[in-house]
Amino acid sequence: MNKLSVQNIDLLGARIIDPVENIDEVRDLFIRDGTLLHCDDGIKKAEKKYQLKDHTILPGLLDLRTHNRVPGAVKSENMKSLTRAAARGGFSSILTMPNTNPASDNPATIRYIQDRIKQYSSIKVFLSGCLTLQSKGISIAPLGSLKEVGVIAVSDCPRTPSNNQIFLNALKYAKMFDLTVIDFPQDSYLSTDTDVHESALSLKLGLRGNPRLAEELAVQRSILISSHLDIPIHLSSLSSKGSVSLVKKAKEDGIKITSDVSAHHLLFTQEKISSYQNCSKLYPPLREEIDRDALLEGLKNGYIDACNSSHDPYADHLHDIEFDLAPMGAIGLETAVSCFIEALRLKDPYPELALKMSSNPHRILGLKLPSLVPGGEADLVIIKNHEPWTYDCFNGESLSHNSPLHGHLFSSKVVMTVSSGKIAYTNI
Amino acid sequence: MNWNRKSLLAVEDLSPCEITFILDQANSIKNKKNKNLASGSLSGKRIINLFMEPSTRTRVAFEIAAKSLGADIITISGEASSLTKGETLKDTAMNVQALGAHAIILRHSSPGSPLFLSKIVDVPIINAGDGAHEHPSQALLDIYTLRERMGDLKNKKITILGDILFSRVARSNLWGLLKLGAKVTLAGPTTLVPKEFEKLGARVTHNTQSALEDADAVMLLRIQHERQSASHFPSLAEYAKVFGLGQESLSVMKKDAIILHPGPLNRGVEIESELADSDRAVILKQVSNGIAVRMAILDLCINNSSSKNHE
Repeated sequence: MNKLSVQNIDLLGARIIDPVENIDEVRDLFIRDGTLLHCDDGIKKAEKKYQLKDHTILPGLLDLRTHNRVPGAVKSENMKSLTRAAARGGFSSILTMPNTNPASDNPATIRYIQDRIKQYSSIKVFLSGCLTLQSKGISIAPLGSLKEVGVIAVSDCPRTPSNNQIFLNALKYAKMFDLTVIDFPQDSYLSTDTDVHESALSLKLGLRGNPRLAEELAVQRSILISSHLDIPIHLSSLSSKGSVSLVKKAKEDGIKITSDVSAHHLLFTQEKISSYQNCSKLYPPLREEIDRDALLEGLKNGYIDACNSSHDPYADHLHDIEFDLAPMGAIGLETAVSCFIEALRLKDPYPELALKMSSNPHRILGLKLPSLVPGGEADLVIIKNHEPWTYDCFNGESLSHNSPLHGHLFSSKVVMTVSSGKIAYTNI
Repeated sequence: MNWNRKSLLAVEDLSPCEITFILDQANSIKNKKNKNLASGSLSGKRIINLFMEPSTRTRVAFEIAAKSLGADIITISGEASSLTKGETLKDTAMNVQALGAHAIILRHSSPGSPLFLSKIVDVPIINAGDGAHEHPSQALLDIYTLRERMGDLKNKKITILGDILFSRVARSNLWGLLKLGAKVTLAGPTTLVPKEFEKLGARVTHNTQSALEDADAVMLLRIQHERQSASHFPSLAEYAKVFGLGQESLSVMKKDAIILHPGPLNRGVEIESELADSDRAVILKQVSNGIAVRMAILDLCINNSSSKNHE
């Protein structure tokens, strides 16, 4: 493991929020040999004391959609840069998507990734495996074997099987192993070869439009299947107003559906691509203000359970090409937290942040919920309130620079991430 | 007015004055009133015609236009370039610039590719068609031809009929005609003429009679098989039956309404062969006007760029 050396520290005077234990107060925290304490035990002296007035401490954040490039495209991102970017962004854990090359549909590839994690990661990396072989939607992947080597979720993200029978059987099969199923709801036919949201703007630019219907059909399919099989399905990265309505209704009907949204979609609309800006070409595409409003409302009202980074790195030479040929996706680990805070425009965004980026993501994956109670392994993020900073994608940890947020001025900043009892990132 | 642009990327970017200025310049050229141009205003300039998609009219018209102004013009086609060896458009363009090009005329299947190149190289970029986005020189020659026949286009009704969804010509004409005060109707099958075009300022109809009956001019568009990845209508025969222009269409149209087509024609599909050859059609006029319009574009952009560099 690659961690910073200072490990016995005092975190003094910060506001601590823990939705799991219902804590919201100003108090001191102490980390001793990786364990979180509420009182200094006096046995070991702190190597460093941090005065944290105007800071907020939350339980460790978990990203539900990180695209890993190991193996396959290490010039775009390697394990060291990926996990350092996550730590800098405040995440003590990430869930990687299975679209590696070769695909994460076999134990050997998973073990290879785990080796790299052991060598280079400063945070916890959870792995998802493919739901179908190579995520082609033709044959079910060896889910039992994947589970055995440590995969905790399965998904064909950024695709979904177009064949309903395969999808249905894969879900039934995944249920046997208690794997979290993450669907990336995009109808394969309506979304194939599309570049941007279908609208007057896509017509004006001469680009191929992805209609809201492409997502909503797939969302409704997952809702019906979840209800039919009585199994939970997590819907990744909603982008349309209609999807939020469908999920709201499903939740009200008691169907086991959860969902998330990417931080980019909370902050931006399709106007970001109006001059063919490749860095804002996302998947699902950025849509319109009515969609963004619905996503924000859905998040605040709890129909959308979580917010992800949709971190999708592409090296400059892969990305700096003609718009329609450029891949869809943007890096987001280092900006997701600040993006979330800015987009929600709440007087006090931190309880929501703790819920949507810490407790709920852990709950969705069936993991132990991180908490700030004494005696547990320290796993937390420290955010400095009202700390203006400008994001420079060329000065970040990620090897890639495809961000729609380059040059963006944010108001709050992650200043420390502690993962598994050790400091993974600090700039205090 | 002063022409301040180095590149011509899209008609949407142009002001009504700029459009009129290009058309007036083209008129001077056509009527041999502009002596400076006759003497070779681009003498010593090297222009690269970078055509990544097939073209006859546009490519040749730009070649003739450039040569008429005294420039050297070299055409590079997609198949003959290093793009087939995996070179990116960006690298090709930078190499072309390094070879001393004073301007690049680009045709490419990617919408926005001329804008992309204009941020990479310093020389003027002339958009000769970028995917389904724009085809400025075609629209300008279409508007030139309309203006030549009808004078001021304010409040004139122009119908564009056919495959609008995949047409860069339709988009450039829409912007240009709206800017000059014309009223534009977009017509064709529901699958090829989305209602959302109304948000861009056009009237949309899927009824051929309604599209034709009060139009002062009808611009037909080619059915582009190569751009239709999905099926948008059952067959060419059915298209011809429902939306093709034939002799019987003339009874619906105004007596003096003219017919335009940017080419290449699918005779018997968009238009009956006899009608295409009749005096109602100004299709070949469009082609020859294209030379004067493109001479005006090249002269304005390249000489503006040179004078700025000189300064």
